[in-house]
Amino acid sequence: MKRRVHLTVLASLMLATGFSFAADPIKVGVTGPYTGGSSSMGVSMRDGVKLAINEINKAGGVLGRQLLAVERDDEAKNERGVQIAQELINKEQVVATLGFINTGVALASQRFYQEAKIPVFNNVATGSIVTQQFKAPEFPDNYIFRNAAHDSIQAPMIVEEAIVRRNFKKVAILADSTNYGQLGREDLEKALAAKNVKAVAVEKFNIKDVDMTAQLLKAKEAGAEVVLTYAIGPELAQIANGMTKLGWKVPMIGSWTLSMANFIDNAGPGGEGARMPQTFIQEPNTVKRKTFIEAYLKTFKPKNNRIDSPVSAAQGYDSVYLLAAAIKQAGSTEGPKVREALENLQTKVEGVVTTYDKPFTHDDHEAITANIPIFGEVKGSKVVYAYEEDRVKGADIRTKVKKAATADKQPAKK
Amino acid sequence: MEIFLQLVYSGIALGMIYAVIAFGYQLTFATSDTLNFGQGDALMLGALVGLTLVDRMGLNYWLALPVVGLFGMVQGAFVERIGVRPAIKIKSEFGWIMSTIALGIIFKNVAENIWGRDDLKFPSPLPESPLKVFGANVLPMELLVIGGALLMMLAVEFFNRKTIYGKAVVATFNDRDAAKLMGINTGLVITFSYALSSMSASFAGVLIAPLTLTGATMGSVLGLKAFAVAIIGGLTSGMGIIVGGIILGIAETTTGFYISTGYKDVPGLVLLLFVLAVKPAGLFGKSAIKKV
Repeated sequence: MKRRVHLTVLASLMLATGFSFAADPIKVGVTGPYTGGSSSMGVSMRDGVKLAINEINKAGGVLGRQLLAVERDDEAKNERGVQIAQELINKEQVVATLGFINTGVALASQRFYQEAKIPVFNNVATGSIVTQQFKAPEFPDNYIFRNAAHDSIQAPMIVEEAIVRRNFKKVAILADSTNYGQLGREDLEKALAAKNVKAVAVEKFNIKDVDMTAQLLKAKEAGAEVVLTYAIGPELAQIANGMTKLGWKVPMIGSWTLSMANFIDNAGPGGEGARMPQTFIQEPNTVKRKTFIEAYLKTFKPKNNRIDSPVSAAQGYDSVYLLAAAIKQAGSTEGPKVREALENLQTKVEGVVTTYDKPFTHDDHEAITANIPIFGEVKGSKVVYAYEEDRVKGADIRTKVKKAATADKQPAKK
Repeated sequence: MEIFLQLVYSGIALGMIYAVIAFGYQLTFATSDTLNFGQGDALMLGALVGLTLVDRMGLNYWLALPVVGLFGMVQGAFVERIGVRPAIKIKSEFGWIMSTIALGIIFKNVAENIWGRDDLKFPSPLPESPLKVFGANVLPMELLVIGGALLMMLAVEFFNRKTIYGKAVVATFNDRDAAKLMGINTGLVITFSYALSSMSASFAGVLIAPLTLTGATMGSVLGLKAFAVAIIGGLTSGMGIIVGGIILGIAETTTGFYISTGYKDVPGLVLLLFVLAVKPAGLFGKSAIKKV
């Protein structure tokens, strides 16, 4: 009732002041690869975003205005990303942009938003430097935010899992030749060095490679007991298939891309048992998650009731709510004001990944800390909790650890 | 030794994947001096049509093969009529390059809209567990690809040398105008060669799809590698394609293992440059003397 009064007052105010633009929708750019090898992440992210926008619009929008997604396919290509950034900023005049799946595209495109003072929400791209591109003191304000588990969280988690939890001595690293793979490989090597371990083999492959014999034989000859991966779905599947062919089966532990549908489907039985850090697992263990999963399945009807990339969908969904909360708090759609609101969010935002309580500060633009992701495992063509204890505690929301607590650098330990 | 053997096996299997695609380039070059740069996309279409037949309609893999071949023929004839014939008619040297590339892109976009943008799994018609041959592993599917490549080579050589239609093809290649005067319908021969070329590409697609992955973008890199194979082996020799494929495949796997996986594509491409410099017609190609 109160709400309705509120809206009526708002509406009459608008009428009285004759603001015709008040009804204009708030344009939000949504960009990611909706085609090609990383499309399962891009499409899931976009669908998560669309779901959240629909919900918000049904509830009356933000500042009395509807949200409007302006979707653009960057095809995972840096140059497309740059074109789209310019189009969204200059032609569409978006208030903010959500998206970026590929670290390389994010790095190439973000400077335009930074210059135009328009906030960017990386809801999937994980390269460690994505949010560090425009750091103080060189840049007084940083317009790049993220609510995904960045690589400097994931790499130590992967190493912790391989070396400490499962006690493997000899590890091999297989990474693709893109920015994503190579930056991830660096992070993995750093994390291994912190445990005084040196990888016995570090191998590389290209996107669309169909034969992994040489890489796998090198790892096998070096006596690797586990393969750590940094790549995307199709090539990861070729690694798993290559192992089957060579009759050499060691566990695969890698970045969160091992949860991509095109890895799971193309690797088949060879992909079972692969483990990766996940911020979200498709399991309705809280009310919020249950409604999210049900709404997603009902609206987009993915095959076998499995979200292609649950993590991307969840993070995409959450990014909209974070942005909406900031616009509401700022009472404006101007970039600098939205940024300030994001850096000092007064309301708690309940998302599906976690509950965001002051997720950002002026110098910290990462919403996800090392305590939030858990390990997922491919089992029966689905990603499930790798550890029973995580599953049992799945409903407990793990919230961001504030600066003071993260200072002791405890990766992945709960 | 066992490792080397494994590398050679995988190299041969990889090379044969390239070779089956490369046949398509040869077939059109043999009649009209033109190449279908959309070969990779013809391959992709074949694989995706095959996948639809096998996966959605539940057709047996072997029964799907002729249907896919027929589809390939239609697709190839379409490419020739739309893209190549106008260029040949005005004796344009380069028009067909752009038009076949353009058609390839169009096919890719169409495929993305019909089959989606993701890489899909092609169910393997043969068991997926590896066989041990002299201490190294081979997949049954790889043996099928090798068999398929050899069969295609034999078919092409037999067709060109022994049949009257093949002679018409050779005649058309040697001198289009003279062939026309001798009563050969050169236009039809060229259309036919394009149909045959796309048919072989479609076959190749269904053949290799269980090994690679199936999707709208599968043809791009493979089509390019196959082109390198066709150049190395020679655009006029069936034997050359097989040997070229094996050379490129083994060069990739051995370089990957013994030198660095980061440089595995380099030796093959260096060889390509070397062949172009020393024997431009390819290792097995007959250098054509063009009288102007």
